[in-house]
Amino acid sequence: MIINGVSIDPTFAEAFPMKGTRVIITAQNLQWAMNSAQAFTGFATSVIACGCEAAIERTLDPTETPDGRPGVACLIFAMGAKGLAKQVETRAGQCVLTSPTSALFSGIQGEDGKDIPLGKNLRFFGDGFQISKMIGGKRYWRIPVMDGEFLTEENTGVVSAVGGGNFLILAESQPQALAACEAAIEAMKKVPNVIMPFPGGVVRSGSKVGSKYKALNASTNDAFCPTLKGQTKSELSPEVESVMEIVIDGLSKEDIDEAMRVGIEAACALGAENGIRRISAGNYGGKLGPFHFHLQEIMA
Amino acid sequence: MSALTFKLIFERAQRVDCSPLTKDKLEGKTVAEIAALPLVAGRQPVTAGDVFEISGDDCRHIVFENSSDKLDFIGHGMSDGEITIHGAAGAYLGQFMTGGQITVNGSSDIYTGCEMKGGQIKINGNAGDFVGAARPGYKNGMTGGTIIISGNTGARTGDHMRRGMILIEGDAGDYCGSRMVSGTIAVLGGVGRHLGYAMKRGTLLLNQAPAQGISANFNDCGSHTLAFLPLLFAEFAKLDSGFAKVSPFSRVQRYAGDIGGIGMGEILVRL
Repeated sequence: MIINGVSIDPTFAEAFPMKGTRVIITAQNLQWAMNSAQAFTGFATSVIACGCEAAIERTLDPTETPDGRPGVACLIFAMGAKGLAKQVETRAGQCVLTSPTSALFSGIQGEDGKDIPLGKNLRFFGDGFQISKMIGGKRYWRIPVMDGEFLTEENTGVVSAVGGGNFLILAESQPQALAACEAAIEAMKKVPNVIMPFPGGVVRSGSKVGSKYKALNASTNDAFCPTLKGQTKSELSPEVESVMEIVIDGLSKEDIDEAMRVGIEAACALGAENGIRRISAGNYGGKLGPFHFHLQEIMA
Repeated sequence: MSALTFKLIFERAQRVDCSPLTKDKLEGKTVAEIAALPLVAGRQPVTAGDVFEISGDDCRHIVFENSSDKLDFIGHGMSDGEITIHGAAGAYLGQFMTGGQITVNGSSDIYTGCEMKGGQIKINGNAGDFVGAARPGYKNGMTGGTIIISGNTGARTGDHMRRGMILIEGDAGDYCGSRMVSGTIAVLGGVGRHLGYAMKRGTLLLNQAPAQGISANFNDCGSHTLAFLPLLFAEFAKLDSGFAKVSPFSRVQRYAGDIGGIGMGEILVRL
């Protein structure tokens, strides 16, 4: 398959099941909601070392938030509900509770009513002065803090999700690969229910499973490293000088399908004339996860 | 199907216990079976048919017509369905109810919503003393649900209240929020004396400052913009109540008390 001179590899991205939730952070203005959200979703690129994968899904205008203030929706994913609960709680405690004028709400209903704590345990920071309020069947906590009160919903819902959707952009130069990634990310940000958790949404250090060093479970994806074309069993043709990856986590396979479609479409729109040569994907022979995203089927 | 209707045949001298007349207890019964149900009126055992003219067949919607304040325990322990009362309602309206809705087009007597757990009671009139309260000797009043009163309430509104909301569009009587454990009482009109007496926790939200001031048992915590109030008003906006028409505010003067006890309750007065 070739789109605008860009070859789409007959391969698939391989993803795995995760648990996810959405939280809404509001503040006096969007800047302070964003400050808190960026801290909340910081150091959350890969579940391997960060314990979770998280990013800002989108900004919300006051009509979309529970308290009528500007807000930010964040998605956060982990391998299980227990791990997710730990990450949500520590991040909420250190990055939202601490952030001036912030309030924290659940942005999703749990599957079968399954919830994890959001502000349930943060309330103890109130040292006995915290106040519970049941409003509309949900429990909120009002925790006295130095700038007034921190308002947080007690729980947030947990849903089954999919992590690790991806595609690779192979280009003739590093600036051209990055430009294609930027175009793809810009288009993918408009798709709901997905995040691209790496810095700016882009990964330059794709990995393979295993390493020559026993202590490491993953190491550089040498088959896609352009400087190793003559040293290893390379996947790259002579004209490819840079490869970048976009990793996608989403609330469902369909959401990731859509994000991959618009992302690849945007990258291909730059075309071969801008140095974009191939679109490929990372998989581990079907051994890693049950979700397979076949590039040519998605782009058909 | 038409609403199951109980029309009071004549104003009785004695009080009538109407607790058997809820959807939960009448489901599957014919009008004849319902008419034969024993009720207690004062010391006299009577049947429902002696007290009411009964018609209709939809027990999910029960109507009391020509009702009187002698009809006690209407909606007792109901879990769902709807009860509409044309006229006054007696004591213990909606006691122990867990769901459903009761509407009174008239006034209700004492202990309206006593120890209710869920659902909604709407009084298009006044309510007596001890709205949403606990029975004498019991420690927990209402633990859920919403009571809306378009008129005024008597004394001890929300006595021992533990959870839920009481919304008073008119004035609240003396000792409003007394011994309150938690929950929210909002008042659009005035309040009587001894507001929040022996209150432990919970919120008394006032649209106007009390004419007689705040009791010395409450300490002024200053003026604040509280983030939970917009959420509360958004919830009010869903209700069939004058509260839905109040322009939302989040700027309040906060008083904490009753400091004669644990002092974790609050009175919030609109600024």
